[in-house]
Formats: sequence, C-alpha cells, structure tokens
Amino acid sequence: MDSLPENLKQPMIDLLLAVADDKLMLGHRNSDWTGLGPILEEDIAFSSLAQDEIAHAQVIYELLSPLVDKTADELAYGRSVDQYRCAQIVELPDNFDWAVAIARQFFCDHFDRLRLRALSHSSYKPLADVASRLAAEEQVHVDHVDAWIVRLGRGNDESKRRLQTALDQLSPMAPMLFEPVDREAELTGAGLYPQAETDMFHAWRDVLQHVAHEGGLALELSPPNAGAQGGRRGHHSEHLKSLLDEMCEVYRLEPGVAW
Amino acid sequence: MSGSSNVGMHIDHNVQEDPEKLAEFEAKIDAGQLIEPDDWLPQAYRTGMLKMAEHHANSEIIGALPEGEWITRAPSLRRKLALTAKVQDEVGHGQMLYRVSQDLGKTRDQMLRDLITGVTKYHNVFNYPAPTWGDIAMIQWLIDGAAIMNQKSLADGAYGPYVRTMKRINMEEAFHFKCGEDMVLTLMSGTAQQRVLGQDAFDRWWYPSLMFFGPPDKPNCRNLPPMRWRMKTVTNDDLRQRFINRFVPAAKDLGLKIHVVKKSDDGMVIEKQLDPNLHYDESTENWTVTDPDWEEFYRVIRGGGPCNKQRLGLRRFSYEQGRWVRIAIMNGRAGLPPAA
Amino acid sequence: MSKIREHPPDAKGEMTSPKEGDLKAFTVFTQLQRGDPHIYAGCVDAADAKMALQFAREHYGQDQPCVNIWVVPKQAIAATEYDKDLIWRYTDQTYRLARGYAKGVREKWEKIRAKNDLDDYEKEDLKEMF
Repeated sequence: MDSLPENLKQPMIDLLLAVADDKLMLGHRNSDWTGLGPILEEDIAFSSLAQDEIAHAQVIYELLSPLVDKTADELAYGRSVDQYRCAQIVELPDNFDWAVAIARQFFCDHFDRLRLRALSHSSYKPLADVASRLAAEEQVHVDHVDAWIVRLGRGNDESKRRLQTALDQLSPMAPMLFEPVDREAELTGAGLYPQAETDMFHAWRDVLQHVAHEGGLALELSPPNAGAQGGRRGHHSEHLKSLLDEMCEVYRLEPGVAW
Repeated sequence: MSGSSNVGMHIDHNVQEDPEKLAEFEAKIDAGQLIEPDDWLPQAYRTGMLKMAEHHANSEIIGALPEGEWITRAPSLRRKLALTAKVQDEVGHGQMLYRVSQDLGKTRDQMLRDLITGVTKYHNVFNYPAPTWGDIAMIQWLIDGAAIMNQKSLADGAYGPYVRTMKRINMEEAFHFKCGEDMVLTLMSGTAQQRVLGQDAFDRWWYPSLMFFGPPDKPNCRNLPPMRWRMKTVTNDDLRQRFINRFVPAAKDLGLKIHVVKKSDDGMVIEKQLDPNLHYDESTENWTVTDPDWEEFYRVIRGGGPCNKQRLGLRRFSYEQGRWVRIAIMNGRAGLPPAA
Repeated sequence: MSKIREHPPDAKGEMTSPKEGDLKAFTVFTQLQRGDPHIYAGCVDAADAKMALQFAREHYGQDQPCVNIWVVPKQAIAATEYDKDLIWRYTDQTYRLARGYAKGVREKWEKIRAKNDLDDYEKEDLKEMF
C-alpha cells in the first residue's frame, strides 16, 4: 500500500520516530568523536558511520514529514523531551571511552539491522523501499563493530577487561531497544511492521553472543520485562535533556529560520 | 583548513653535500621535475620537507578541534552532516600528511608525541576560540578560503608525495570553502540576530586569516631554500595580497564591515573601529588594509594564545585515552583462536 | 560542547607513557567502476589487511563512488629507481607503436587506391573506345 490507514497513523508515527530518534542520538554521540578517535584511520571510519546514522535519521524524518506536517529539521530539533521515542541506551554519554562507544554501537547496530530488515518487508511501500536501502548500509556498520568486538576481546588483558566492563554496563539496558511503541502490535498485525517480537529478540541475542564469544567475552541478555516503560513511551534518562539542550543550542536561538 | 607555509628552515652547515649531486638536484627542480623520496636529496631538503609536512599534518588534526566543538550543536541535519564530514576530512588530511612525513623517516607516534609535548608546532590560527555558530561559518569561509590559496600554491611545489597529497586535499577543500560560503551567505541574508553573529565572528577572524599566510616576507625569501627548492612557490605577502583582493570586495557585498580590533586575552573583541586604512589603490589594483599585529602573532606562536592550552590538552587527552586501543591491536592476540 | 572538549585535563610536561611505534602501512588502490583498473589512492596504517580494508573503504572510498578496494602491505611493493633504472629506451621506439606506421599505411592506401582508380578508368576508357 502507498498510504496508511487512518487508524494506524499514530502508531506508525511513533514507530518511525523511534527508528529516526535512535539513529539521530547515536549519530550525534558518535559524531562527537570526530577528531578524537583512538587511531586516525578509525577516527575517519567511525565518523563515516556517525554520518550514516544522521543521514538515515534524516531520511526517516522526511518520510514522516507529510504525516505530521513538519520538516525533518523541526522533527529532529523542535520537540520536547517526552516527544522523543529513542531508547535510553543511545542517550548515554560515553565520555570518550572507546569501549563504551563500541559496546553501545554493537547493541544498537545489530538491533537496527534486524529492525530495518523487518521494515523492508512492510506493506507500507514507501517505508519498505527506504528500509531495504538503509538495511544494506547497516550491514557495513555491523561488520565494522563486530570486528572491533573480536579484536578488543582477543587483544590483550586490558582491552578484554575494558570491553567486558562496558558490555556488562550496557547489557541490562540494551534489551529495552525492543520496548514496543504504543499499539505496535496493531502495526505488526496489519503487516506494517512484520516481525515476531520474541523471534527478533532471540535473533539479536544469538548473534551478539556469537560475536562476543568469538572475542572470548561473556554476554547475558534477557528480554525486557513486559510493561517496563522506557524511551519508546517517552520516558527518558536525564541525559536526553542535556543532549537536546546542546544539540538545539543554535536552533533554538531562532527556530524556523534557515541556518 | 590547514596551512604550512610558515615553517622556518634550519640548514645544518656542517653537512657537506656532494656539489655534483646538489647541482643535479637543483637542475631537476629548475626543470620543473617532481622529486620523489627515493631520489638523492640534500639533507636540508629532507629535514625541511619533513618539518613542513609534519607541521601541516599537526595543523590538520589540531584544526579538527575548534570546529569539532560545534558538530554537536549544528543547527540543522544537513549542517550537522556537512560539519562532521568537514572535520572528518581534516583528520583524513592529517592522516595523509603524516604518511608523507612517515616516509621521510619519523614515526607517526613520535610526531603525535612531539606535538602534544610542544616539541613541534601547528598552525597559529587554531589557537583562537570559536564561541558561536557564526565563527564556524567564518572559519570555513575565511580560513578555508585562505587555505585553498595556500595549498594551491603548494600543489605547484616540487616534492611528489606532498604535491599529490595537496591535489587530493584541494578537492576536498573546495567543498569546505563552498559550504562556508553558503553558511556566510545564509547568515548575512538572514535575520538581524544572524547578521550580528556573522559580523562579530568576522571581526574575530579577519586578522587571524591575514596572519594565516605567515609573517611578512624576508627581503631575500625567494633565494632561501623553501622557495629555491620549490617547497613553497608563492611568498607569504603575495598570497596575503591575493586573499585581501578577493575577500575585501566580497565582504563589502555581504554588508560586512572591516574593523581594526583589540582583543582580550581570551580572544574576544573588546574594541573595534572601522579600518582607517581600507582603500583601493587604482595604480596597483590592490586593496590595502591595516596590517595585523605581528607581536600578537609571535606571542601566540610561543604559546600565549587564547586556546593553546585547551587544544594541546585535548589532543593529549585523545592520545592517552586511545592508547590501550592501539596497544591492544598492535601487540594483541587478534589472530589467535578465541580465548577459552 | 562536552565538558572534556571544553576543559580537557591539564597537559603539561613530558609523556609518561612509553613510545608505541606505528602500525603497518598498507597501500590502497580503489576501483571506481567494475571493469576499470584499480588506481593508487593513498595509504592507511593498520594492524592487518582486514583492518586496512575497513579503514580504506571509509577513508578513500567515500569521496567518489567506488566499487572495489585492494590493500597491499607497503613493504611488499618493489620499485625501480628513477635515475638508475632506465625503462623506456632512448633509441627510436616507433617500430613497436601503432603511430610508427600511421603515415606509411595512409600513404600506401592512397597510392593503391589511386592506382585502382586509374586502372578502372582505363578499363572503362577502353570499353568506350571500342
């Protein structure tokens, strides 16, 4: 189908916001590394990945634009904190700790790849078209971050310890990436977001564990508690507010003007 | 953004070069041939080229810092993408220029260490602050505009690896400058507040951009090794004049006023007046402006600029913070089967 | 701006950490379209070829469309020397180039065609006479 049934518009808006907001915040955090990466070559590579995330967010916001009658920039910059739908893991600052940045990327990229693959089979054609293109790019990210997980896991005692610590720190919150948006089940029922939620979680956990084990790292992940409320319902960590205050500093000087 | 035109060259007169080889080398240069690293090179040329490429590389990765501060605050998705890509390019230029330097015999690790301990220098212009979004626009317009002029002249030089790198860099630099031009045009045709942001930033960056080309020419600069050996091809003052002739009329068209300014220690303008010397000389077809304060230039080089400490501190932080990653991949067990 | 960018730790004095040395240098060749030759693009420093490919695709593969990348350990490249190794000979080499034959071939065709024309003319001429 090329247009959405009226009654499913709102959950679809929430779902697309979740996709775009995840990508924007992750891209925002990662782009801050530009110029400060651990190796010049990786600095460049990681910055490309950050640009992809922001560019992906932009594409999704543009898809949303006619549904909500707002521009992509208004969507990215012009909402109050509780209107964002990103998961809390992408809000987390990394304080330029490479292990945290890589661990965060690991959880998010694999999730994003699975989500985009599912969306590439959406019955909503404009979304399916976009998602299949983005999924191909997401594969590049997954390959990149997996290589780092294995390298650092196998590297030496210090790198293994640091990465294990970061994985342990993030693994309790990472499954909340799977928190559904309001009325997500209806989207799934209508073929708009074709996924079997538990299958997707298991696929995610299995591939993460496989890669972690290849790096000699331990990784325990349990599904999010049913009913747990997080970023998908607008409940955010305190970090999102300061992130947005920084991101929107110039935009808010004169919202709506061209910069 | 970058620049490397201002490296002094120390000639060790104790090194006696074979006069026949030296003559052959200079004949090649005069014939416009490119020099390659495996060719016979006078010791002073090798050390001079290393110093020049290393200084340029240092400038690129320090140059990534002031603008890097604004990636997280860029006011639209497109600007955010462009600024990230631009700063990324600078890191890429640094990487390529360190490679040119590595091939002249110094490890990248040693160069990074010398940079953060102050043994080697980077371009002065990055010791000034970028307190507003207007500064980002002006840096990309003025400083990248100056960098293109400088680097185009360096691409006519004689050292093959450096020349090839300059050509590649200049392609990317063209995007930086156009993007800067676009930002300045947007600001100056925007709201009253945006125009003030633009003018204030212009006041902060006008003099650093004139100083960008380095101190006034020495009378014999054309006969000194850097020009004699075509390490650089245009003098500092000639480049500066080209810059002035191009940017003064553009500034006027945009409604930007050219001010002589006095700055506080933290680089903010505390006094300004319209440049009393600004005029067009019909006979030479040159614009004249008030000269930069060269005492300030040397003070900043010696470490007394508003941001020297912050820039080096951050660079050092990045080096120390990334150390465990480099050690792990360099000496790690990545090739072995997974640990039990 | 993040606190660390605004106020980085104080950085005075000598480095306490030991020297690290560099990773291995790899030369990068990019192919812009299928079927095109791979062309020298630059270098990356990396721990191994796999990492070098990862770095190269983001560093040299993003400023224009690119479909394939090679990396080669820089040390593995052997090269001739400019001044010592004569590659192209000084003597006339046109005997092994197409352009060495262009003029001769053209002139010979012209001659043959002119002669054929003349023969034809004469044949026809004779026919008409008799």
